[in-house]
Amino acid sequence: MDIGLQLTTEKTGLKIDPRTKIMILITVGIIMMSGKLTGVEYILRIICTFVPFVLLLSVRQFKSAFGYLFILLCVELCEGFIVPKTQGVLNLVIMIICGIISRFGPSYLCGWYVVKSTSVSEFVTAMDKMYFPKVITIPMSVMFRYFPTLKEEYSSIHDAMKMRGIGKTVKNPFVYIEYILVPIMMSTVQIANDLSAASLTKGLGAHKKRTHICDVRMKVFDVMLIVVLIAMLVIFFIF
Amino acid sequence: MQKKFEIKDLITVGVFTALYFVLTFIVACLGFIPIFMAIMPLIAPILVGIPLMLYFSKVKHFGMVLITSVIIAILMFVTGHPYPIFIFCIGAGLLTELVLFLGKYESIKACVIGSSTFSLWILGMTIAFFFSFRESYFASLVDGYGQEYVDKMMSYTPTWMFFAMIAMCLVGGLLGGLLGAGVLKKHFKKAGMV
Repeated sequence: MDIGLQLTTEKTGLKIDPRTKIMILITVGIIMMSGKLTGVEYILRIICTFVPFVLLLSVRQFKSAFGYLFILLCVELCEGFIVPKTQGVLNLVIMIICGIISRFGPSYLCGWYVVKSTSVSEFVTAMDKMYFPKVITIPMSVMFRYFPTLKEEYSSIHDAMKMRGIGKTVKNPFVYIEYILVPIMMSTVQIANDLSAASLTKGLGAHKKRTHICDVRMKVFDVMLIVVLIAMLVIFFIF
Repeated sequence: MQKKFEIKDLITVGVFTALYFVLTFIVACLGFIPIFMAIMPLIAPILVGIPLMLYFSKVKHFGMVLITSVIIAILMFVTGHPYPIFIFCIGAGLLTELVLFLGKYESIKACVIGSSTFSLWILGMTIAFFFSFRESYFASLVDGYGQEYVDKMMSYTPTWMFFAMIAMCLVGGLLGGLLGAGVLKKHFKKAGMV
């Protein structure tokens, strides 16, 4: 599962409105982060576990979808049945590992899906339709575009360090951080310059209302999804 | 001092906020191990202080730091932190704006102090352990994490810890700022990028 280019629209199959996607992200984030392991909330958690699976299937990432499902089900079952039966250090270790995977895994994959399946122009259009101020949407769309780049930069720096035989030999953590961070910061400045040049050509600097070419509309499916998500949140907060 | 807010500034905000957020998130994940949760407010600002100083050197007028703090608040809220995060983020953002303004957006000293005040938003992530949030938060943790973990967590976070965390944020931010200033001087001044 590489974080690289955008998936094209023909490949994504199921088309969901960006606003619905953000709603999915919020719901899964809230329920997974603070979910309990008893009663209704455990059921909600199980449902949320399946959300990224379905989303991944919809963009044809079969391998990672099933891999994710396997890992997450193991972890959920572990949390539900094994954790209450163990004690002491073992309990703490299992708990922490399971906790990190089950809390961040689904949110991470949902976020991955949103970034990967939404083009920047779709995102900006959706935000414009929600009357979000420009000063927030522009930095945010830049961020969305920059996250994958950041990962690429990191792996190239890592490779470059390996090639020169540094990396494992660096014992001092501060020096190691410096070796990683400084090149990343250099490229960050560079990318910021490139992007501002690009945005000028796209007319972002003009003080006029921009029109949008991409088709972003709430369909019946989106409305249904949002109703379900809100219902889940309501159930979550009441019980 | 430029007055006008340009598209270039918004892009700078976006790129640096992304870098800042990723680094913070990495450190925050360590917070699952109880002892790290207690010292996270010290470690996080030291690490993120380095890019933050570079960012502050690019900030030339009011608003950019505030936007960064609002975006961080939104992202933190989406990833499941409670609502007080907004108050802390925006408060820290405004305070930092004030510090940078007093330094006329040029002085390195103001940037270092700004790095220290900006780190205060991290308190928003840990506020759930304290004051009126404490009881209900730990009660909700018992179900999810088990009594063992909650006891450990509780023993690391008595109420005075909150004030210690304020100090940790400030000191960590200060150290991070100084470290960042050093890195800037060593690498970026030479390359003419600041």
